[in-house]
Amino acid sequence: MKTQLRSIYKLFAPWLLVVALVLSACAPMTAPAQPPSAQPVTLTVIMEQVPDYDIVAELTKRFEAEHPDVRIRFDPMPYDAMRDKILTSFLAPQATYDVIIVDNPWMDEFAKAGFLAPLDDYIAAQEGYNLQDFVEPLRAIGEVDGQLYGVPYYNYALGLIVRQDLFDDPSNQEKFQAEYGRPLTIPTTLEEYLEVGQFFMAQGIYGAAMQPQRGYKVFEEWKNWLYAAGGNLMDAEGNVILDNEAGQKALEMYIEMYKTAAPPNSLNWGFDEALRAMAAGEAATMLSYNWMLPTLNKADGPAGDLAGAFALYEPPGGKAVLGAWHWAIPANTANKDAAWRYIGWLTSPAVDKERVILGGAPIRTSVMNDPEVWEKGFGREYYETVLRILEDAEPLARGQSAEEIINEVGTYLNSAVAGEMSVAEALSAAAAKVREILARS
Amino acid sequence: MKFRRYAGDAAALFILCAALVAVFFPYMFILIASLKDAAAINRPLDWGFTPTLANWAAVVRSDIPRQAWNSLVVGALTAAISLATGAPAAYAFSRFRVGGDAARFVVLSAQMLPPAVLIVPLFLLMYNIRLLNTLWAVTAAHLTFILPFVVWFLIGFFDDIPRDLEEQAMVDGCTQWQAFYRVLLPTARPGLGAAALFAFILSWNDLFYALLLSGGDSRTLPVGVAGYWTFRGVELGQMSAAILLSITPMIVLSFLVQRYLVRGFGGGIVKG
Amino acid sequence: MRPPLLHSRSVDETMIPFKYRLLLPMAVTLAAVLIYPLLFSLWASLHDYRLTAVGDVRWVGLEHYAALATNRSFWNAMRNTVIFVAVAVGLEFALGFLLAILLHRATPFRHVFRALLLTPAFITPIAVGLIFRFLLNSQLGVIPHLLRSVGVDVDWFGPNLALFSLALIDVWQWTPFMMLLLLAGLEALPPEPFEAARVDGATGWQALRHITFPLMRPVILASLLIRMLDAFKVYEYVYAITRGGPGESTETIQYHIYRVGFLYYRAGEAAAMAYVLMAVILLFVVVLFYVVRREATS
Repeated sequence: MKTQLRSIYKLFAPWLLVVALVLSACAPMTAPAQPPSAQPVTLTVIMEQVPDYDIVAELTKRFEAEHPDVRIRFDPMPYDAMRDKILTSFLAPQATYDVIIVDNPWMDEFAKAGFLAPLDDYIAAQEGYNLQDFVEPLRAIGEVDGQLYGVPYYNYALGLIVRQDLFDDPSNQEKFQAEYGRPLTIPTTLEEYLEVGQFFMAQGIYGAAMQPQRGYKVFEEWKNWLYAAGGNLMDAEGNVILDNEAGQKALEMYIEMYKTAAPPNSLNWGFDEALRAMAAGEAATMLSYNWMLPTLNKADGPAGDLAGAFALYEPPGGKAVLGAWHWAIPANTANKDAAWRYIGWLTSPAVDKERVILGGAPIRTSVMNDPEVWEKGFGREYYETVLRILEDAEPLARGQSAEEIINEVGTYLNSAVAGEMSVAEALSAAAAKVREILARS
Repeated sequence: MKFRRYAGDAAALFILCAALVAVFFPYMFILIASLKDAAAINRPLDWGFTPTLANWAAVVRSDIPRQAWNSLVVGALTAAISLATGAPAAYAFSRFRVGGDAARFVVLSAQMLPPAVLIVPLFLLMYNIRLLNTLWAVTAAHLTFILPFVVWFLIGFFDDIPRDLEEQAMVDGCTQWQAFYRVLLPTARPGLGAAALFAFILSWNDLFYALLLSGGDSRTLPVGVAGYWTFRGVELGQMSAAILLSITPMIVLSFLVQRYLVRGFGGGIVKG
Repeated sequence: MRPPLLHSRSVDETMIPFKYRLLLPMAVTLAAVLIYPLLFSLWASLHDYRLTAVGDVRWVGLEHYAALATNRSFWNAMRNTVIFVAVAVGLEFALGFLLAILLHRATPFRHVFRALLLTPAFITPIAVGLIFRFLLNSQLGVIPHLLRSVGVDVDWFGPNLALFSLALIDVWQWTPFMMLLLLAGLEALPPEPFEAARVDGATGWQALRHITFPLMRPVILASLLIRMLDAFKVYEYVYAITRGGPGESTETIQYHIYRVGFLYYRAGEAAAMAYVLMAVILLFVVVLFYVVRREATS
């Protein structure tokens, strides 16, 4: 009997060892999931690892000094990882995050799923918050079915970033005048943009660094072209009109630009490659996030000696694609009040002004019109241009399934740019897909 | 005869060097990128840049070293558990054909399910047993796909080894367990070593499970490295430095481990 | 001093047979980590289970499975993945075997070579993807520039080559891994048959073909299988470089399931896809298994 037990022990030894290991070592390796609610409340904040995060982290030190009963713990994440992380955290009965940031395609879906806490009462109770001061299209993203679930954190509206030195170059101006019979100006229509692109291509520099990567990227860029051509994804009644004449024109011209003025073999380019091409002086224009301008113009920045040569304008046609991050509070956190105290403080007019002065992307009208911000920030012209862009901007996509619509339409657009489908085929297939998605949700 | 041997060596060395060049060409690019500043990195063909150690300094100060340590712990744990539980199982499959072929496929089948599907229940499971955001959660998730691999590899390996060894040992009076433990395992040492190494590698590289089951201090290296891919583009310089920093100890590790991957002394040494 | 051990016979009389006890630790471990996820996803595949509506779940039976029959994107992704796996693993096996044989013989510095050659396997695939995204970039990358200087212009991520380029990246990263597995198999071969062959005057090639290959068959099978199953999971390169484009030409099955289940929240549908995928892979594995086995017995 004794020997039998020994043999059993022997055979189970590896497994027992493992269990013992697990149990004994469990404590030191376990990160505290939720500390017992001791006096100061610790808020866990999920953040995206970008320069805007560094600015917020800096300001947060002051918040903690002013509010000794609230501690902030950041969990910085890469962008693409953040959504997965937030989504799974909603599924747990108890929150792993007290404060999150929400990208605009997720807003409606998250709010309607009941993942987010409504903020209206908090906002109403905070003196001097001035909600209407947020640029309207930005503020509106946080509103779902008449309730507010998010307040803006920063915008990523698209603008036209150009090499101003090339546009100002007299020899370029002369040549352009001779060839096209009009002065070389910043393009305000698609036709002009195409001409300018092709002109620079002929001068030995790519006319436009484009982002035709499948899915999100090509959709984001092309939608500016769609607006400029007078089209949209849906009309006011919610009918899918993306394959109408305006849509066809926008896609045809987009492809024409890709084929005649963009770097060759750039079918998988996204934001990153376009920015690098621009920074390296290989391209004359790009449609990109407005806050890339200060980055490009920064001394010792990615553009090196070209710093200072870049300028920002509204996209051709004037209407821009709007992206924005919003602060939100998960419905499954127990620390909602403290969470709002933090968000409310951070997005209040006074603190927001400081954030923008430190280099954060602006969201409030008063801040963008503030001479002190102009002087300490990136100059009057920049903030006025950004304000103009934001005022005439529409979100990338709204409603439930926005993410799916963006990705599916972006697949067909990319197919068309790759030449695998004709413009008409791609757009009608995309429109059919969008209708199918909308019918399901 | 001697000449042929030298010629063979030369040919072998030539091919191996070619392979080394193919492997190291991207490293050269990574090394150069790690020494460039933000502007120079956008001009990959510009060799006249002034090297900077800023990227390296930033990486050394970041969480990367700690995250590398976490990955090392998870990898070692995954490899150890996989081997300890997988080797006896593989032996049972190989020698006793337990459950026939069907059982082998059952072991394997679960790991064919994509992580994107398994993650939600795994997440809920870890949450409910209070292991979420710990390295144990990551280890458990890694076992779901690594343990079946280890079992299958070792089955193949044990199949390779002639049965005569253990049969001889048992004739000589060994128990079944002794035959396995003292005769077969030493003979299979290269296989065990390789299995440990590949279990470690697969665990070391996993991003998806590690991302969603770990958090804060328990994050692993792939999560940290992926963090250089931001909304404002890839921090190529720092990412390059982080890659080089994290594979250097691995070169040493695999050098040390591989020296022991040679055939063990099996062959009926244990008599009794 | 030997650890106390028991004579097997007395255990057989009273306890679970030896062979099952060998199996038990693994069975317990796998069950602990897998039973719940497996049952959960099977349950999800039969329900309209959305991550944004977990409180409102509806039984749909086999609807998700039936819908897959006509889902073109799904089967396209499946096809892409099979091509990717065949190209990548095929090349990896050929190159890995060659390297393993070279490192098995008493080549000078072979331990150094082994350690250095294995390094790509220690870089997380998402980083490898990002590195090659820039390395192979037509304007910004070093490789296309070098190739152009010798007159070769290749659009690595264009419609024709993108999937193949991703497979090549896989070859770069995982050939060393294949080499490691095969090398272990070579190391474990008994020396006797080779000595006998040498006495008989067999050439190296003959020994390889008639002794090494047959003896290595189980390890070759296991190595191919492991690499294949792992390659079936490819999504990092796709995610980092092409996002499945141009069009859907590099959409792999893992990326597709990730998109449906996570990005679009439709976890039930994704679970059904996962089980179909499992059936497809299982078919491959079983065929491979019996083909290799039959060759062994014939």
